[in-house]
Amino acid sequence: MSDQGIKSRPAYGKITGDPAARHALLVVEGAGLPDELMAEGVDPSAFETWTVAHASTVPGAPVMDEAAGAVRPFRSARQLFSALEERLARETMGLRLCAAGTEPFLWDVFNIGAVAGLTRQEMQFAQMGPQARRIFCVHCRTVSEGITASIVTCAGCGASLFVRDHFSKRLAAFMAVQIDAEVPGEVPPSEEIYR
Amino acid sequence: MTVQFKPAETFRDTFTYKKSPEDILRFPFPFPEDEYMYSVNIEPHVKGGATPAFQAVFDIDEHYVGECRERERVLKEDPKRCQVLPHMMAAQWDTLELIMESLAADYPAHFTLSKAGDVWTWVNRPLGLHQTFTFGKPETLPCTPFEYITRQVQGDFTLQDQREDNLFVDGGMVTTQADWSLEFNIGMSFHEWHGPVPGVAHDRGVFDRALKYLLRLQYGQPVRRLNWTMTINPRLDTSPENYPVWGPDRTTVTADNVAEKVHLRVELQTLFRLPRSNAILFGIRCYLTSVSDIARVPKWRRRLHRVLRDLHPDLAEYKGMTRYRPLVVAHLAALDDGAPTSRGIAPDTDRLDG
Repeated sequence: MSDQGIKSRPAYGKITGDPAARHALLVVEGAGLPDELMAEGVDPSAFETWTVAHASTVPGAPVMDEAAGAVRPFRSARQLFSALEERLARETMGLRLCAAGTEPFLWDVFNIGAVAGLTRQEMQFAQMGPQARRIFCVHCRTVSEGITASIVTCAGCGASLFVRDHFSKRLAAFMAVQIDAEVPGEVPPSEEIYR
Repeated sequence: MTVQFKPAETFRDTFTYKKSPEDILRFPFPFPEDEYMYSVNIEPHVKGGATPAFQAVFDIDEHYVGECRERERVLKEDPKRCQVLPHMMAAQWDTLELIMESLAADYPAHFTLSKAGDVWTWVNRPLGLHQTFTFGKPETLPCTPFEYITRQVQGDFTLQDQREDNLFVDGGMVTTQADWSLEFNIGMSFHEWHGPVPGVAHDRGVFDRALKYLLRLQYGQPVRRLNWTMTINPRLDTSPENYPVWGPDRTTVTADNVAEKVHLRVELQTLFRLPRSNAILFGIRCYLTSVSDIARVPKWRRRLHRVLRDLHPDLAEYKGMTRYRPLVVAHLAALDDGAPTSRGIAPDTDRLDG
């Protein structure tokens, strides 16, 4: 992976849990538990875990009550986010929110937590899965998902966009800037670098 | 003060912006030495000092009316250039109070603030405004307090909330910026919004030290520093949003037009602790002076030549000067007689050459 030397790009670690937590909720962008993302000695059964099965047949499950050790699958990430908003709105002090998934998933979780009043210190993030990026076109504000190349055409305004390492947690996206703004048409070859 | 405002001057398209001789001499030239590197060059924001731009809390000059009109135009095109997150309302009123009281004290001929309890009356003569409102009641103003007052001052402003031992840029009025986006950066922590600044600055620990310093900023003891870049044409709105509009300007510089086209862009950055919110108001006041106008001051033309000639390549790249820097250096080299220069930013003259 290239490094543009930009310091706003987030760094990630493993899920360590927090001994001071009253209850810990772990949301995972995938069907399985991220054993490889748990820090050494951390017991996954200490968490209430929500997963994404990507399957319409997943039956409903109670989401509003704390249940340490329970694993609750959701049909999609959107369905999980919707439930998370409701759950966090009712939570009290002492909850720790952990997330494992791709970068856009993690910061979507962060923003839901922030709206509910959780601080950054009450949340933990571990990155897994594809490195594809969500990007924000700074010229027309179109958000594009799953970007794997260094230069892409904006779906909103057609600009040839260079994906910078400058990251906004609020937008859960990297900044994308027209690469040939000074000399239109002067576009270097694109490289597949976010895999 | 006998400043003559120039309401019709423009900062885009026709570019009718021009500086009077007095305005050239009051330019806050940013280089105290013949070489430049990032540093935490912060000093108390007190009246006096090397340039008349330091004589007021918020400096008003002959471009005041023209710049307020340009700001109004940018906001009509893109209202999100002014945004403040909802938890910052106390900081909005702090800002309004600080700016109104400072302008009225520094420029009584132009601005008057009178108070009857919480009912305040604000008069802005250059812009023809007369507003009575209740302090603390946003519905008594035509827009939010932060937007209302920052529409009436030159330069951009951001609001920093202080929490978690950090500063977060949780609001701003940003229409005259050197290539950074409020819409993208709003909500970021101190190190996040400085992320794109070259590694040389981070490696020198500049941001760690600056943050520590600012977290301890005291009410009533504002500080300032000068920052700089270069801009082609006297264009205030060099936002990333409009980069496709102004970016091509950088290819229009030639040996013949370099002195008129290329402008030194100086930011007088000021930082104020706000009393109720404990937030920090950050003022970013932009001054544009062409290479041709700078060259009329012997010390400044020598020094600008030496600084640009020896500039760290990463900084030149970050400041977007790569395409045209050699032309500026060549132009100024011919005007640099090699004589020594005095320390500090003062012009050391009260008359312009040429």
